Amino acid sequence: MTVDIKTIVEPTFRTTPEDACKLYPTKAKLIADEILCEKLENKSADDVEFEFEELSKSIADEVKEKIKASMHIPRYKVLVQATIGTMKDQGVKITSRCLWDTSTDNYATASFQNEFIFASVLVFFLYTD
Amino acid sequence: MDTETSFAIDDIETVIKSSIGSVLTDTQYNPTKINDQINSIISATLKGLQSLRRPYKYTTTAILMQKNGAGLVSAASTFWDAENDGLCKVMWENQTMHCVVTVFGTCVNVVDGGEGAGEEEEKEEVVVNKKEE
Repeated sequence: MTVDIKTIVEPTFRTTPEDACKLYPTKAKLIADEILCEKLENKSADDVEFEFEELSKSIADEVKEKIKASMHIPRYKVLVQATIGTMKDQGVKITSRCLWDTSTDNYATASFQNEFIFASVLVFFLYTD
Repeated sequence: MDTETSFAIDDIETVIKSSIGSVLTDTQYNPTKINDQINSIISATLKGLQSLRRPYKYTTTAILMQKNGAGLVSAASTFWDAENDGLCKVMWENQTMHCVVTVFGTCVNVVDGGEGAGEEEEKEEVVVNKKEE
């Protein structure tokens, strides 16, 4: 007799999060601000240009991990986008818009600037049942 | 994987390219117009995504930057259903500016006769069926 274990994961049909698992985007903003300051505070243009790629990936990953760990939001999908650029007197505009459920989904943004670099982190939270 | 619920990168790329093209073709970087331009790109993209009529939530980001010799890097990290969700990015440029539009699509669970779409991350409710032969 062979036993075949098949795990089926079903949706919970909860269309809104439970009270204990509510989303507070301001907390995410604090986390993102903290990580940005920590990683970019003492950087100058020379250091950063070579590490840009690694730095942006690590900022995005760290923000996501920290949000997962410290905010109790098990039913939410988390999207983090980190953008870093050098300051050379250019104009930049970053905008976003979403097609989602306005009652359960939300976002948080954080930005950082010094004389050599600017950085922006966008975090989106999407509820799934 | 059912084609209706998998993430269709090509369709989304077409939508994005046409919305960028309709707004930015034959234009130069102009700080007074940039607000309207970027808003039009985003709303055109969202309208196009809506018309695809797929069971997805979309998050669209656009970056418009003047060409000045400066560097720009954008990275994304996501916690989602790896099978059904995805992202599509389009990079466009002309002589005076760069434009990067990213669309993240996350699947809304559309249940088909009791079997869920199945999230890969830990979930609270698990139904285990055992088949014995």
